[in-house]
Amino acid sequence: MRLDYPIHERTLDNGLRVVVSPDHTVPTVAVNLWVDVGSRHESRGRTGFAHLFEHLMFQGSRNVASGEHFSALLAVGARLNATTWFDRTNYFETVPTGALDLALWLEADRHGHLLDAVNQANLDNQRDVVKEEKRQRYDNPPYGQELPDLYAALFPEGHPYAHPTIGSMADLDAATLEDVHAFYERWYGPRNTVLTLCGDVEAEDAFERVERQFGSLSSRPRPGHPIPVALAPLTEPVRLTRRADVPHDRLTIAFRLPADRTPGFLPAALALDILGGLATSRVVRRLVRGSQQALSVHSTAWGLVGGVSIGFLAIDVANGEDPDRVEAAVLSEVEDLAHAGPTSEEMQAVRAQSERGWLQALAHQDQRADLISHHTLLHDDPHAVNTHLEEVLAVTPEQIQAATTTLLRPEQRAVVAYLRAPHGAEEES
Amino acid sequence: MSDRPGVEPPGPWLQPLPTEETLSNGVRLLRMHLPGQQVISARLMVPVTLADEERVHEGVSVMMARLLDEGAGDLDAEAFAAALERHGAALGASAVEGGLSVDLDVPVRHLSGALRLMADAVGRPTFPEDEVRRVLRNRLAEIDYETASAPHRAGRELIATLWDPASRAARPAAGTPSTIGALTRSAIVERHAALAAAGGALVIAGDLQGIDVREAVEGSVGEWTGSGTAAAEPAAALPRLDGHTVVVVDRPGSVQSELAIGAPAPGRADPSWAAYPVMAYLLGGSPGARIDAVLREDKGYTYGIRAAMRPRALGGSFAVTGSVRTEVTAEALDLLRGILADTVKGFSRAELATGVDFITRATPGRWATADVIADELSALTLERLPMDFPSLTLRAMRRLAPDQVTEAAAAVASSVCSTVIVGDADAIIDDVRALGIGEVHVVTD
Repeated sequence: MRLDYPIHERTLDNGLRVVVSPDHTVPTVAVNLWVDVGSRHESRGRTGFAHLFEHLMFQGSRNVASGEHFSALLAVGARLNATTWFDRTNYFETVPTGALDLALWLEADRHGHLLDAVNQANLDNQRDVVKEEKRQRYDNPPYGQELPDLYAALFPEGHPYAHPTIGSMADLDAATLEDVHAFYERWYGPRNTVLTLCGDVEAEDAFERVERQFGSLSSRPRPGHPIPVALAPLTEPVRLTRRADVPHDRLTIAFRLPADRTPGFLPAALALDILGGLATSRVVRRLVRGSQQALSVHSTAWGLVGGVSIGFLAIDVANGEDPDRVEAAVLSEVEDLAHAGPTSEEMQAVRAQSERGWLQALAHQDQRADLISHHTLLHDDPHAVNTHLEEVLAVTPEQIQAATTTLLRPEQRAVVAYLRAPHGAEEES
Repeated sequence: MSDRPGVEPPGPWLQPLPTEETLSNGVRLLRMHLPGQQVISARLMVPVTLADEERVHEGVSVMMARLLDEGAGDLDAEAFAAALERHGAALGASAVEGGLSVDLDVPVRHLSGALRLMADAVGRPTFPEDEVRRVLRNRLAEIDYETASAPHRAGRELIATLWDPASRAARPAAGTPSTIGALTRSAIVERHAALAAAGGALVIAGDLQGIDVREAVEGSVGEWTGSGTAAAEPAAALPRLDGHTVVVVDRPGSVQSELAIGAPAPGRADPSWAAYPVMAYLLGGSPGARIDAVLREDKGYTYGIRAAMRPRALGGSFAVTGSVRTEVTAEALDLLRGILADTVKGFSRAELATGVDFITRATPGRWATADVIADELSALTLERLPMDFPSLTLRAMRRLAPDQVTEAAAAVASSVCSTVIVGDADAIIDDVRALGIGEVHVVTD
């Protein structure tokens, strides 16, 4: 089904690509910037830098004091933040309509003139904050190393996706002010950025307001990006076992999928849903409801642009059950899907759930703006918010079967086994 | 670049108000038309009190709620899940003090069919023995996870030290290993039989253009009456009166300490409520708030520490929560206590304005999607508040004087009776004791 959110585009003389999607249902505007730099662009010895840098974007710029970006926008009723991912860094705020110019001015100041304000004290402070973020999200919680382990198992050492965005403590320690300057000058500029406005503003008016604040930012050539090299699926299984003080065993069975928006990615994502992403998925029926050897299962498919994407099934194993037997049962379900393809009931369920998921993702201006920026920056397709669902619904059972056969074979898997061990007996192998 | 632009103040907020009618089964129907919201959110709230659960069967209401869609009407658990998925629907249910909620999100064209499934879930659940066993076992696994997760573990200790042990609120709504272990199918069936539709509320929010909501509802949820007799009254949580309890939950080797500081506080029905969310925001609602200005932006001890109000059906609490690296645990705790104590010195008019402006101006943008609005309206029914309560509260906030916020801060600061630390006891205990907050109890899981 085709949706009809309005999309207007313009590129400023300095190269900034601007997309506007008017929506007057609520008196707010979502301001959303995607910068084409993420952890995949980091160099050896500087993992975690794109994210640390994102923190510094809140510590002042030429005309804005440290912390003022947050305080000035909160004081007018904005909700704001920024995140860093493998492929990009995004900055966003949803503001009452009357504060749109202020939001654009604040963004233009830091996206154009950050280095005037960066100093050692800010870098040191935010390095400490990021280390606490790492401890809170990765080092202290149960299963905190699941994803870093998965990236390390799935990709060769040194591959752009082999390390998590949070980086390592040693690399965070190594970051210098010179790194900050070089990173900003290389990656932050109008030609490497997309700005989306979604909300209570008309297109022409929005373009004028953006021109007023961003038009004077100096134009620099678009930086050279690493050329994506397609990474083929694994040819033999990889296994990483971690014994830790966790409440139950968890298996994460991961596969290299094709790059986002290349043939095979969507069918593989839907195959993973049919296996583990629905309340009626095959692994749920067999292992969660049926034999009750597993507590739960979920599926994930992250579309990435660097020549390969990530798909996985995560299965929590019931205590007392043998994780090897659970893994074998999961693999036999994958083989069954490869052998006979999805049923018509499964196609109906996965399509209906995809529809609700996509419509809910578009329900709020801020997420809609984020999806527009995403597809504009990484896929040169601002209209994807209107066409993506049609593409999902057009995927055939034959394509899903083919993707399962070619991309989800047992020898193509990387498994992270997070197994229970008494405290003090932690180890990695 | 131009000069810093000014900000046009927003016009008055017209809070979306639902139309209200009563269904033939006595349930209030609250209908909220939201143009462009293509996924409809339905929220059924049924009055329930957890306070009347038998002590040995605590958690029975939540377990019963979780089982509503595991087999209902003529469908077994798997067939019911398949029917929901065919409609593109997501359905979930839970229970808190005051209400059992059944939440449904579904694309508009499937609304009628999904409402019939919702009606079967609440009115004709079959509680298959297999599914009962599975859901109870999963709750036990969930408790293990909550024990291993520092924020969850701190939260469990916080309620145990905040509320009087005689109060149901002192123990987890979803039960403990012993109460879950003692639960049987018949206790769950009995609990379900005690539900009564009368006094409940059904919120339907989304783009309802051209939909005969009344007909869809009367032919589904409207037919359910329940076999219980009277709507349950929510129970108040009784604060502990035996002074300040400090608990360290020992986690040898932990690289961070999870901190939780709690105080009993008013709920949203309290006449002075408007001051409380503003006070909590000024203390711990942003990186520039009093707590993170020191602990994050100055010291770099934390990724962020939040202060928040936690309203219940009656009354509520105030909590400061977050994690700091192990080495600075006692110092961070001391700084937090100092920040709370310093609130007696008052808030300037300018500081007050930053809080009032944020909350009052951010609210319209938050009330934008069907799911958020349905959740908000449903919470109002649980707390027995009028539908225009949000806009009345914002109006009251705009009239707040600094003294009222100072009084709210003083009220919570002087009622703090619970400090919980989940961390490496050996590494922190001497320094925590040296703070002299109170007797320090060490708990080992």
